[in-house]
Amino acid sequence: MSSRKAPFRKPQIKGAAAEELVHALRTHQVDAIVGERHIMLVRLKQAEEDLELSRNQLRALTASLLSIRENERIVIAREIHDELGQALTCLQLGLSWIAGKVTARQQPVQDKVRSLAALVTTMIRTVQRIADELRPGVLDELGLVKALKSEARKFTGYTGTPCKFETNMGKTGCSREESIAIFRIAQAALTNVARHAEASKIMMSLMDGKTHFVLTVHDNGKGITREQISGAQSLGIIGIRERVLALKGSLNIRGSKTTGTTLTVRIPRPRILLSHRPVSS
Amino acid sequence: MTSRSREKRRTAPAGGKTYAFQLFVAGNESNSTQARDNLARLCREYLTGRHEITIVDVLKDAATAYTHHVLVTPTLILIKPLPKVLLLGNLSDTRHVLAALRLIGGKQ
Repeated sequence: MSSRKAPFRKPQIKGAAAEELVHALRTHQVDAIVGERHIMLVRLKQAEEDLELSRNQLRALTASLLSIRENERIVIAREIHDELGQALTCLQLGLSWIAGKVTARQQPVQDKVRSLAALVTTMIRTVQRIADELRPGVLDELGLVKALKSEARKFTGYTGTPCKFETNMGKTGCSREESIAIFRIAQAALTNVARHAEASKIMMSLMDGKTHFVLTVHDNGKGITREQISGAQSLGIIGIRERVLALKGSLNIRGSKTTGTTLTVRIPRPRILLSHRPVSS
Repeated sequence: MTSRSREKRRTAPAGGKTYAFQLFVAGNESNSTQARDNLARLCREYLTGRHEITIVDVLKDAATAYTHHVLVTPTLILIKPLPKVLLLGNLSDTRHVLAALRLIGGKQ
């Protein structure tokens, strides 16, 4: 006698029963489909659809928040630069005027004025740096490529780790939104490298492909784990992902202990519609 | 109210027979819950004291569902009186359900 289970017999469904089944499915009166090995909840599909809708709403909200944040940054940067910068410049001119009035016999006053002038100069530089970090003037004035070059240079200056940048892009490649997003992504990627990678060399590139803009940041550091890539604590990567998704792009992060980490962002190029209007002579 | 009383008038005399049902549901999914409620209501109104209902939750007991060749939930099987009847859906179409269970005289 065989102890094997009897094979599952497929239920026969014909005529009225088949009609009944079709009607029940059409009118959404079915909760679950009973299969040979498992129960498939029909409502699971609906739940997944709801979840996707909710995700899309969250993404739209994030995109809107990012845009609001950028605009706020512009306003704050302008206020700091114009108001505070102006006031500090006036203060510096005032101190110079006082320094001119002080006689050689008033040495302690002269020293004090000089130290105050030096302090004001430092403050002006700090204000410029803060305003620049909030909204890099170079991005608005000279465009994305120059801004990224400048960012690579700054990174090398701050960290002492050489960061090379290469591109095949001209001056006008991306829209304003794309430029801001790519620039912020590059900034976030470089911050991550500085904080975690322990790299001795960084290569950043921005390539203009036929269909996509491709930003790559590669370092030769200690790599990155899957948990770090998808972890809830990886706020930098979450921010990058949200910016990429807002532009319907894709993000790929690969890391290994031997080759370091490579972050690749692909942003689809906007489609240019050519008009074929007849030209009148 | 009117339609309900008409259905009652047209109810076939069951002759004291006991109706045995087996209702296959998927946990507390909405159609399954509706089917449970609708069956309980129909039994209360048309088969007072003459019915037995066995509820089978396929999420806990899939084997019984396989044995009875139940494809989807909710499914109601009239076990007795014979012949067996199989109904799919949430049993919200009272007229259709009553006709299928031979409790009223056919579909209009």
